[in-house]
Amino acid sequence: MLEVLTNPNSFFEARKKGEESLRIPVIIVLISGIIGGISAFLSSSMMMEAMTKTLPPEVRGFISFMPIGAAIGAVIASFVIWLIIAAIFFGISALFKGEGRFKRTLEFVGYGYIPTIIGGLISAVLVYNFVTTVQIPAITDPAEITEVITSLMKSPMMLLSSAIGILFMLWSANIWVFGLKHARNLSTENALITVAIPVAAYILFSVYQTVVM
Amino acid sequence: MRKILPLFLFLFLIFAIAVVISSISAYDVSAPGTEEQKSSIMVTGYQVNPEVLMRNDIGTITVTVKNMETSKSVNIKDARILSRNLKVLSDSYFNIGRLGPGESLKLTFTIKATCPDGIYYPRILVEGEDAQNIRYSFPVTVDSSSLTIGVKNVPDEIFKGERARIELVVGNPRQNTITGVKIVTEGREVIPSEVFIGTLSPDDSKTASFNFTPQAKGTHILNFKLEFKNGDDHHYTELSVPLNVTESKKSAELILTGIEVESMPEQNVYKITGDVNNAGLEEAKSVVMKVGDAEGIEAMHPYKSYFVGLLSPDDFSSFELNVKVGENETQVPLVIEYKDEDGNMFSKTEYISIERHQGTTSSGELPPGSMIVVLVVIAILVIGAIAYSWKRR
Repeated sequence: MLEVLTNPNSFFEARKKGEESLRIPVIIVLISGIIGGISAFLSSSMMMEAMTKTLPPEVRGFISFMPIGAAIGAVIASFVIWLIIAAIFFGISALFKGEGRFKRTLEFVGYGYIPTIIGGLISAVLVYNFVTTVQIPAITDPAEITEVITSLMKSPMMLLSSAIGILFMLWSANIWVFGLKHARNLSTENALITVAIPVAAYILFSVYQTVVM
Repeated sequence: MRKILPLFLFLFLIFAIAVVISSISAYDVSAPGTEEQKSSIMVTGYQVNPEVLMRNDIGTITVTVKNMETSKSVNIKDARILSRNLKVLSDSYFNIGRLGPGESLKLTFTIKATCPDGIYYPRILVEGEDAQNIRYSFPVTVDSSSLTIGVKNVPDEIFKGERARIELVVGNPRQNTITGVKIVTEGREVIPSEVFIGTLSPDDSKTASFNFTPQAKGTHILNFKLEFKNGDDHHYTELSVPLNVTESKKSAELILTGIEVESMPEQNVYKITGDVNNAGLEEAKSVVMKVGDAEGIEAMHPYKSYFVGLLSPDDFSSFELNVKVGENETQVPLVIEYKDEDGNMFSKTEYISIERHQGTTSSGELPPGSMIVVLVVIAILVIGAIAYSWKRR
């Protein structure tokens, strides 16, 4: 399994000879989703604490479920995003006359989630460390919500977490290049372009969201 | 004829001498209160107000002139007062008019006692048209003795912040009654600022009490001014009372211990907790902890102030206060208020330091250098893994 990290070309070349199976990719995406859910739980807990005083008492009970909802949503979202990424790759590779079934693409894209597990673990530790020690101001004016949450999200620890996430996204992208090469029978260059377009768009959007917004 | 002329000259000389002697005797200072000649008018009384003048006092002399005739009126031409020592400020009376049988007339003159203390005898001259002139002398006393003021009672020891009762006694050694007597003080720590005594009879004395509550130890000099009126003239005398104020040896002494400052979820709001201890030998009553007034400091609910109540000697009580501290403030003044058994209020202020947290991201963060190291290591790891995978393809 570690070969997918160190020599993905060889890993997918060997894997292509076997039957299409989503069992391992689903487990990988699930683990990645759970770790992302932990980070989402911690982040939303911090936001909820900041927002509690702006809400009427009858709503506070409802909003207490927000962290759990965020965690579950993160797990579900990881599967949805998996499908979307695979679909995008499948669509772009079709422009390069790629061949192969969508299931194989989905399977190989799922393997590419392994680096995000490592990155997610590191980010979760950083977020936990930040959330448990930060002085969170109580917001009494709803107009301050955006300002306070923005200041929390732009804290150095959260920026570090985002940067680490982008680095591991690049590692995943590298795996996806070789995965698509074999899943869709593409040349290395075409596979690189296929992956680079959506990944670059995602990274640029993330950087823009973090720095500018 | 030669014998008759010297005799005539001799008789004329005798007559002239008699006339001169007679006129001089009208201005002579003779025994007071005696009439030299029998007259149809006479002075039946006189009144000096004030009865005893102080030097430079202005007073009045009222003389009663009565027509002693039973059936004949008298035309009074003029009346005047003569004195070498007292200064007569009012004019003489001229063409006063007729005074019916048995009728009286009061004539008032204003004088000023420009002379030293003593007894003086001014003389009133009354000239009647169809009656003989009268001359009447009467005594006027000038005595500059002032009222006396002294300390009657003062505590042996006066303690800072405790009320001390100071009693002053005012005496009148004069021969006349003094009016408008009052004691005035401008000391801020003395209450009342003025005590009105009113009239003070001769050889009488009255007591006035003041409460002195010093706020600082050391020597205090209390200045009292005794003001009074002799007739219409205002006079005053002053008294300075030096008092030594010390710290009470037994009074309650409140000190703060175990102070803890905890940041609250609200921005810049802190919870201050601790113990207030009574290290003195007397009870501290109605103890209240408050946040002092200062710029950038604001007491917050639910504990804007904390009522501790009675604190016995060697006893303590916990307290809690909530305070909002401005961005630039680093100290919070805590005020301890309490009362002693007499209800005297005491206040003590202590300053508590606030450890400022740097906004929302101050704690729990890695130093910037460490963050960069972590990022670089991970970047090297990822780039290395990517490079390795491309090398092995």
